Amino acid sequence: MASVCFYFQVHQPYRLKEYSFFHIGRDYVYENHDLNLQVLNKVADKCYVKANALLLQLINKHKGEFKVSFSISGLALEQFEQFRPDVLASFQALAKTGCVEFLGETYYHSLAALYSAEEFQRQVDLHKEKIKALFGVEPTVFRNTELIYNNNLARYIQKQGYVGLLCEGTERLIAANPSNKVYHAETNKSIPVLARNYTLSDDISFRFSDQNWKEWPLSAAKFSNWLQEIAVEKDDVLNLFMDYETFGEHQWEETGIFEFLNDLPEQVLTNTSLGFKTPSEVFKSYQANYPITAPETISWADAERDMSAWQGNAMQHECLEKIYEMEESVKATGNEALIHCWSKLQASDHFYYMSTKHSSDGAVHSYFSPYNTPHDAYLYYMNIIADFEIRVNKSLKVKSEM
Amino acid sequence: MKEKLKVLMLGWEFPPVINGGLGVACFGLSKAMTGLVDLSLIIPKTAAGFVVENLELIGLNQLTIEQFKNQGASTTNTNTYDVFKEVTFVEADFAPYKNYASKTDVTCESTEVISSKNPEVTQDDILSFESVGDIYGTDIWDKIQRYAKVVSKIAQNKDFDVIHAHDWMTFVAGLQVKHESGKPLVLHIHSLETDRAGIGSRGGVYQLEKYAMELADLVIPVSNYTASVIKHHYGIDTDKITSVHNGVEALTPYKTKKPFPEKLILFLGRLTGQKGPGYFLETAQKVIASEPNVRFVMVGTGDKLKSLIEAGAFKQIGNKFHFTGFLSPEKVHELLSMADVYCMPSVSEPFGISALEATQYGVPCVISNQSGVSEVLPSALSADFFDVNQMAKHIVSLLNDGKLKKKVVLNGYEDLKNVSWENAAQKVVSLYRDKLFL
Repeated sequence: MASVCFYFQVHQPYRLKEYSFFHIGRDYVYENHDLNLQVLNKVADKCYVKANALLLQLINKHKGEFKVSFSISGLALEQFEQFRPDVLASFQALAKTGCVEFLGETYYHSLAALYSAEEFQRQVDLHKEKIKALFGVEPTVFRNTELIYNNNLARYIQKQGYVGLLCEGTERLIAANPSNKVYHAETNKSIPVLARNYTLSDDISFRFSDQNWKEWPLSAAKFSNWLQEIAVEKDDVLNLFMDYETFGEHQWEETGIFEFLNDLPEQVLTNTSLGFKTPSEVFKSYQANYPITAPETISWADAERDMSAWQGNAMQHECLEKIYEMEESVKATGNEALIHCWSKLQASDHFYYMSTKHSSDGAVHSYFSPYNTPHDAYLYYMNIIADFEIRVNKSLKVKSEM
Repeated sequence: MKEKLKVLMLGWEFPPVINGGLGVACFGLSKAMTGLVDLSLIIPKTAAGFVVENLELIGLNQLTIEQFKNQGASTTNTNTYDVFKEVTFVEADFAPYKNYASKTDVTCESTEVISSKNPEVTQDDILSFESVGDIYGTDIWDKIQRYAKVVSKIAQNKDFDVIHAHDWMTFVAGLQVKHESGKPLVLHIHSLETDRAGIGSRGGVYQLEKYAMELADLVIPVSNYTASVIKHHYGIDTDKITSVHNGVEALTPYKTKKPFPEKLILFLGRLTGQKGPGYFLETAQKVIASEPNVRFVMVGTGDKLKSLIEAGAFKQIGNKFHFTGFLSPEKVHELLSMADVYCMPSVSEPFGISALEATQYGVPCVISNQSGVSEVLPSALSADFFDVNQMAKHIVSLLNDGKLKKKVVLNGYEDLKNVSWENAAQKVVSLYRDKLFL
């Protein structure tokens, strides 16, 4: 039986404040707490609370037939624990149904995989512990920040004992293969990979409310018909991977996105031959017969679906290099607060805000950015790095004098 | 003792409306001149309540149309604008001072500087000043024409011996009043189009500057450096050019302890080609390479801001090279109070009062040879603006050689003793007497 596999990304960064030159050496609070709390509450109220309640209802209604998976960053979980325990509780309620899988990722939603093997490992472990502590399960499937993937990462993930991982279904990745299959990393058959069907995923997450789209308005019946038409073979898997904030935040409630989500399981289960599976169930049920190779890193961001959303200009490169150059000295302080602070500065969002891309991708970058310009984002970040370096050096000096 | 001269001064920037050095200089000079002459100053915009003792300050934004209605006869002079018939203005993209706050690019065409059709002061003219925001902006040509019209009407009812106009925005008005009154015209040159836009500039502003200087009776640049620019790039008769150095307002310097351990090197100025910010960035890179214990800060904004930020990132010095954007005078003083070196690598700087302010704060200066202020600040270390190696060497020497730093600072205090607005004002008045025979 062909399957539909849902994975929702949940992440909220700590946005930085407008940290000017005059803050350096005087202010070690880098984050805009009010803004972060405001965004958290807004997204919690518009999306997480409502969508979780709906999912719980759907899971109960369909008695184990409807399943989804989540990847929740450590930064988001931390903020839920501290400011929105109700949201955390609703995720925990979903976890108890047994129909929800939690995926592994980096705790800090970082790009560490590309910069430091040691730091990447530390963050993956931290996240694993956090998921276990909060949901009582250990992730068995891995999904890297922003679906960043390459051959080396595949090798690493296998060594970590994960049963498989998720990535973006770019054309160049699967061009030589049929679409919508379970793939495996070219180098090793034992690392199965699920590739996002970006057309179907973006139909929901980007185009759903676009009145210029010829398919607007999109009903669950119409969408499930498409799924049926596309999934012609028994081992087809349609991977619908998207930001969870699609429901109620990127697509407002008024667009009918919740009605769509409400109707979809029933439409799929009653009018098609497809069923729902979580990623680990997919890996158990299907053979990975098709090799894929990613000698260059891919991701799910922007039209390029590569690293250019975070590594597209000199400002982004400098910030990334500066933050990872500090790894050794930060860790040498042994100061947990400094290490946590440094780790939070690794969140990919900071670099995303510095993108200088234009047109529709540029519009998406600026939609998410709390700053006026990418250059502002860079300047505030660099001033923070300057202050943070001073603190690290001070801490090292104190330590050496002890 | 001769009778006090009556001076009609035409200005554009004036406190509290200040974009750059022009407003500071006009204020300093006119205040010092009030003791020596009877002075009236007409500017586009004044703030109600801003007064200078013994100075008649006329802001066009404070006028009403009624003040012009009873003037009668003089407005019928049909030959009023004949003097401009000989001038041909070339269309050009032009942006003497961009308005960065509004984030819109300013370009406009200078097709017609003066219209001879409507010399009447209209309600429209008055209203345009009443609500004036940015005194530059895209409609700067429109503003200078309206300014000329209104000023000419005010001048018709005024008694004065000499017209003294500051920079090109007031030159149309100056020429107009000279033409109508027959009084001598003095042009005070604080900045030229060749400074702002490069020595190749030959657009509308350049044409206006050149034409006005040709017709003027006396040209007063703020430095010998600018005098030579006027000679070489504008071809003006050197006999009528005499430079008068700017002064500097006395201020109360203080010291602030830096909140970080690194030495601080400071740049202040609009981020345009004229101020040489790119050379500062290159100099910084060289200094950082040999002296990691430093921090550079660049204060100001301008059309080069984004490309400078990106260049800094490319050089990977963003954690040591900081941009603050535009800052209030208080913040600028705070930086001066904690800076270790002030650097002014201007490509073409008629004067550069900020170097004197830094000197007042006991901050040693490294300045370009292409800066007028070097003529009154021999204590400063200098190099050609493009010689980033020499600039970097000077900065490193000042950071590491305490004796040298002390010498530069103390000699700077000595230099300052000869620099004042009183001196400048004295010199201007004696030029009225000696050059214009007033």
